[in-house]
Amino acid sequence: MTARARRPWRNWRWLMMAASVTGTSVLAGCSGGGSSAGSGGTAAPAPAGTASLATSMTTANGATWAIVAMGSSAAGANQFWELFTRAAASDQWELVTPPGVASNGGLVAAGGPASLGVAFRPSQGLTFSPLAVTSDAGKTWRTGLIDAPVASVPDALAVGAGAMLALLGDGTVEQGGTAGASWARLAAPGAIATSAAGGRCGVTSLTAVAYAPSGTPLAAASCARPGTVGIFARSGDTWQAAGPVLGGALAARQITVLRLTGTPAGDVALLRAGAGGDASLLAAWTSDGSRWTVSAPLAAEAGQVAASGTGSGGAAWVLLPDRSAYAVSGPGGPWRRLPSPPQGTATLAVGPGGAAEALATAGGNLTVYQLSPAGTWQKAQALTVPIQSGSSS
Amino acid sequence: MNSGLDPADPTLEAAFRSALLHQGLIAAGLFLLLWLLWGASRNWLRPGSAGHAPRAAEPAGRRVLRIGFGLLWVFDGILQAQPQMPGGLPSQVIQPTAQSSPRWVQDLVNVGGTIWSNHPITAAAASVWIQVGIGLWLLVAVRGWWSRGAGLASVAWGLMVWIWGESFGGIFAPGLSWLTGAPGAVLLYCVAGALIALPASAWRTPRTGRLLLAGAGVFFIGMAVLQAWPGRGYWQGTSGSLSAMVTTMSQTSQPRALSALVSAFGSFDTAHGFAVNLFVVIALAAIGAALLTGRPGLVRAAVLAAGVVCLADWVLVQDFGFFGGLGTDPNSMIPTILLLTAGYLALTRLPDAAAEPDEAVRPEGARAAIAATSLQAVTALAALGVIVIGAAPMAAASLNPTADPILAQAIAGYSPPLNSPASPFRLTDQDGRTVTLASLRGKVVLLTFLDPVCTTDCPLIAQEFKATAAMLGPQARQTELVAIVANPTYYGTQFTQAFDRQEGLNTVPGWLYLTGTLAQLRSAWQQYGITVGNLPAGAMSAHNDLAFVIDRSGVIKQEISADPGPGTGSTRSSFAALFAADVRQALSQP
Repeated sequence: MTARARRPWRNWRWLMMAASVTGTSVLAGCSGGGSSAGSGGTAAPAPAGTASLATSMTTANGATWAIVAMGSSAAGANQFWELFTRAAASDQWELVTPPGVASNGGLVAAGGPASLGVAFRPSQGLTFSPLAVTSDAGKTWRTGLIDAPVASVPDALAVGAGAMLALLGDGTVEQGGTAGASWARLAAPGAIATSAAGGRCGVTSLTAVAYAPSGTPLAAASCARPGTVGIFARSGDTWQAAGPVLGGALAARQITVLRLTGTPAGDVALLRAGAGGDASLLAAWTSDGSRWTVSAPLAAEAGQVAASGTGSGGAAWVLLPDRSAYAVSGPGGPWRRLPSPPQGTATLAVGPGGAAEALATAGGNLTVYQLSPAGTWQKAQALTVPIQSGSSS
Repeated sequence: MNSGLDPADPTLEAAFRSALLHQGLIAAGLFLLLWLLWGASRNWLRPGSAGHAPRAAEPAGRRVLRIGFGLLWVFDGILQAQPQMPGGLPSQVIQPTAQSSPRWVQDLVNVGGTIWSNHPITAAAASVWIQVGIGLWLLVAVRGWWSRGAGLASVAWGLMVWIWGESFGGIFAPGLSWLTGAPGAVLLYCVAGALIALPASAWRTPRTGRLLLAGAGVFFIGMAVLQAWPGRGYWQGTSGSLSAMVTTMSQTSQPRALSALVSAFGSFDTAHGFAVNLFVVIALAAIGAALLTGRPGLVRAAVLAAGVVCLADWVLVQDFGFFGGLGTDPNSMIPTILLLTAGYLALTRLPDAAAEPDEAVRPEGARAAIAATSLQAVTALAALGVIVIGAAPMAAASLNPTADPILAQAIAGYSPPLNSPASPFRLTDQDGRTVTLASLRGKVVLLTFLDPVCTTDCPLIAQEFKATAAMLGPQARQTELVAIVANPTYYGTQFTQAFDRQEGLNTVPGWLYLTGTLAQLRSAWQQYGITVGNLPAGAMSAHNDLAFVIDRSGVIKQEISADPGPGTGSTRSSFAALFAADVRQALSQP
């Protein structure tokens, strides 16, 4: 081989080496980046404008109801949502989850004048929401269905006198009979947002439905426009603003209605003002659907709520992710901080006179703690729930 | 719900063994036939001893590639015959490999994975025969177009395996490393095949060897850069990429001594991760640079060093690559050693230029051509036939989007034929009309029991029924697809109607979803052996999944377990194929 023939070969070798280094650098940049992104990721924050399905409420007959997730700690086929109740005259909770449908997708319950309705959030292959209604404290259930998935919010169902409201996953609001039949659309997806009142609020998503004490259907939303509380009342064929007016510093903050629950004492709303580290929570009450009493703000880290609910006499409570708990006894009352509830507390329940209970879960075990007058949580009851692991897989 | 398809299912394994035996007998017969024909033609034509010019010896580098990769293909083919391959390869090899690659790679790989999942026996057997055939072809075809064709076949099949079996060797996934097999063992088979496919003239100069070694040099340097790149987990021992990989490999089913050795290296890397990676980076860079020089002395030293490093990696990191019951090849290190050795030999040991080129010998006329055909050429033809034995059924199967019923049989178990009268029922269909079994006489009835608010298996079974109707085509008009509600709480027609809408059953011809009073339903459940009951604590209503094929005269001909388990599209379509076959059989009877 001649020297002339060798020269280009040598140059080509160096070019190849350079190309190799450059090429693999790019490759390393791509793949390495993917790797570090994967390992350095953080948990996504909960979607704005939503509250956990873990809740409790009190119905007209004085019974208290609670919904918690049990079973596997990881969400999925072995996590089941359970419904418990405690009769007014009893200090014992019992499991009353309606039978016949897998509850892995979540339960949404609402109390009415004479009954409690429960909607199953669909999971896996099911795409509509079966309903169960009881008038005898969960001993027997009547069945019905909503031919679509109810929204994943704790107030997606409301029970009124002879009627039910449902908020669907796509933002539709429907009204039907108490037997869970004859559903008719009250608002198509986006209809409230495009109404005059919705436009003034800048509705970003619907978050709850309820009946006003007068029986008027209400819908709640998160609003993009600062200071506006997105609560709307059905009026004829349209929706009118029906929420409280906030003043002062709150007028400059975006408001999300986290909860809007009908209670025997009127409707109770839980509002979140602002977002991030300076978010605060407010409770609001109405007994006629138009005039509201609003609580003082409660500073809540990042505005996240692990569980929330209502109690007798218009009481409301929140459990924050750091296990701090607050309750307010009724319209206009101040927030009071409860002693930090026991580890594993999934929901609280506030009964007559502000008596608080903590329902803690661990796998298939439910432990009920009562807050003693001395301010300590005392174990009051232990229940073993026969979780059917593997039945939904 | 059952646990779905088990890769070690005895039904699948037995069917695979049977297919291999059947096709193996055909392959053996093919070899025998061609050898007999060849022998007979030689006797008949009596070729003279003259007419064969002395042929050039095969270049040493090419011989190393041809024999080395021929043996590798045969070995890989034998590995493909492992019993769990039909059911296990897509779910336990192909999908996990693709999982870390970008979406488009996963989608592309899924196409091949679906074909394999739909036709597991045909696909697994095809892989065996194609790879054994390519290997034999390479081994017996020494020179000329026959041999070069074997190289091309190696490239073609290797590319298919590289894309659909190895997800492009993981080159689009994070964590790519030479240590763990980048850029995919089969890509090296393709390189070898391409080299074997080169014309003989390419091997008569050192240029081929030089190019091969330079390419390898660039590759090694590139891999060194990649290995040295910070933030990829290779510089750290604890929780590092390499120690994690080695720990995983050591847990593969294999001889205990080997597992202990690999595990020990994993511990060593955990303790000295930085030093191990530094050694690897320096070794790869040094070997690559030496290969790039093209100087025989340096190249020899680099090839020897690469051989040692490759063997160490093969044992300590790649753990030989073929244990565990689903290993498909011995990974990348042996192919790398073969390629480097071939490159070195192609650079330093050139064939005798004075010998006559083999392509120059061309007998004239068919008679002379037959007479001149060697036993090796006939054997190569038989090896090509072996490839066709595997590839032809696979090509036909890949055009069929419906999965083979063998999957459903594997999941549901054997269902013996029956001949017992079906119990009568009187129920209400989804539109409120009364339906009795007697009213369905004259049609074949495929009957099952479904919970309208079930979240798992009932929607799957409903889809199988829907697919059955589609598969039956015009025969669906002679068939009634019937479900009876299996839920003691949610059983009204509003639930059957909602279920029909959910599953798109409204438009399926001959679909009836029957319900009634709880007493009527309980009676039907009892008569057909269906146990239905509510489970506590938020669990769905439980019932057993059975399907019955009832002939035109109201006699049950088949009782099939219809529980698909946590199925894939393949298992679902497989149940539909099984139902359709049983319905057709019932329709064929008078």
